[in-house]
Amino acid sequence: MNLPLYMQNAFDYPVAMAIATVLGFFFGFVLERSGFGRAMNLAAQFYGRDMRVLKVMFGAIVTTTIGLGLFGGLGALDMSLLAIPETYMGPQIVGGLLLGVGFIVSGYCPGTAVVATATGNLDGIVSLIGVMLGSVGFALLFPVLEQFYNSGHMGPLTFPELLGVPWAVVALGVAAMAVGAFAFAEVVEGWIAKRNHADAPDSPPVLRRGVYAGLAGGAALGLLTLLLPTGAEQATAGPSHRTESVEALQLASDLLNAKGKLYVLDVRAPADCQAKRIPGAMCLTDDDMQAKMLATFPATRTLVVYDADGSAELPEGVFAYAGPVRRLRGGYAGFEAEVLSPPEPPSVPTPDAITEYRLKVALQAHYTGAKTEKAPVIIKPKAVKRAVKKGGGC
Amino acid sequence: MNDARPYWNPYLSGVALGLVLLGTYLIMGFGLGSSSAATRVAYGAAHLIAPAASEANAYIGGYVGPGKSIFMDWMVFEVLGVFLGGLVGAYSAGRMKHLGVDRGQGVSIAQRFLLALAGGIIMGFAARLARGCTSGQALTGGSVLAVGSWVFMFAVFAGGYITAPVVRRFWK
Repeated sequence: MNLPLYMQNAFDYPVAMAIATVLGFFFGFVLERSGFGRAMNLAAQFYGRDMRVLKVMFGAIVTTTIGLGLFGGLGALDMSLLAIPETYMGPQIVGGLLLGVGFIVSGYCPGTAVVATATGNLDGIVSLIGVMLGSVGFALLFPVLEQFYNSGHMGPLTFPELLGVPWAVVALGVAAMAVGAFAFAEVVEGWIAKRNHADAPDSPPVLRRGVYAGLAGGAALGLLTLLLPTGAEQATAGPSHRTESVEALQLASDLLNAKGKLYVLDVRAPADCQAKRIPGAMCLTDDDMQAKMLATFPATRTLVVYDADGSAELPEGVFAYAGPVRRLRGGYAGFEAEVLSPPEPPSVPTPDAITEYRLKVALQAHYTGAKTEKAPVIIKPKAVKRAVKKGGGC
Repeated sequence: MNDARPYWNPYLSGVALGLVLLGTYLIMGFGLGSSSAATRVAYGAAHLIAPAASEANAYIGGYVGPGKSIFMDWMVFEVLGVFLGGLVGAYSAGRMKHLGVDRGQGVSIAQRFLLALAGGIIMGFAARLARGCTSGQALTGGSVLAVGSWVFMFAVFAGGYITAPVVRRFWK
């Protein structure tokens, strides 16, 4: 099987939107049947009266994590095609804290507010109107927030990558943690019920044990797939760093306009770099061919890396850099062809084509007329700082 | 209301929700979300009221403008489905309200609306800052083991528990 279907072009956009509605239908149905269309049920989580938010949420996460690991391990699912939300540490911590505040104040989260609205709860739609106003408020404050919004960027980082262990092993760990959290939740519910002289929520042991056993069984099967050739392949595929790319022309104009916002690193052999490079680029040195020094750079700029032609493996140090990383599409050869060689005049002179041509001419003139400075090199942090300052182009 | 069907057992609900999410990943390659549908509708409305200012805004400009439509997004259709699913779920369980308000004892409707609105505003802001909400970040990102999504989820619980004592009287 070729999963995920949409990512493997099994159907078109209009069909995808129809499927979106159907999947959303099941999502809404389950949320309603979980009791999440009522603010009182959701708020009960935070007073320990009924911790169904935690139980449903962790139960769902563990089910999905184990399931994905199984399909991946059996070779039915190409896990490298899954969309992984990118990590932005600071904004996600602050955003999470604020969302928690909004959750207990409003009694809903954005998704459950939709369900509440559907079931006829007017407080649900008022809450949704609030979400819309808050979105607009964020946009109005965006110029002030932009820097923080983009801070702490770590890319699409996952725990299997971070810990260097296969997905199935992490899935087992998450399952164990979830069962621990479930047991703790039941204890808390018992305490609170006793204190309030009320009954704890009904939790039939047979059902509970059945679900625990199911999760344990699924996680164990996931581990077994590691013995299969397909599973071993998934496990050793390693971190899939989907580094975004930047076009040569874009980089050429960014270097001129966004002074002090870029680091440019040439990862070709030091001798090639010393001979010819993009103005302002840093070269590797023989004693640090993996560019480990990048880990010590302040993550205040975007790091652009390039090799000879855009096909080489990037040095490890690039992934240790804490800020955003872009790879120059086509490498140095691409930059030479796009920027350093004289542009062709447009064959059809539309205003856009003429504007682009003028930009190309200006960039070409700038870069080919630029003096060759002595290449800054990466040696020590101190020297690096100086080198970057002297770099001129960036 | 006494004849309403009981809610599902939360453990079974969790597995059911997990299977929906798993199916979504297997079919689409990405997961479920909520907040950005509301965001898109809000930015669409902003664009109708003040087109030039909306397109000039560095953030809203990414959503509206020539060649862009707030409906060109999977999540808008998905959330339409969530609404329909919630409707059918409540109706078939005998829980359909004829426009009610869910509130704690002794809380006036005006108070409840004010809380819902204020909380909503905070969430709308927070969801954009964190690039997702409880659905798109915590649930969906959490299940693909994204580090930031887990951090976000624990932050949500922390924020909720820290604030809960302050608003306790509204949830009795």
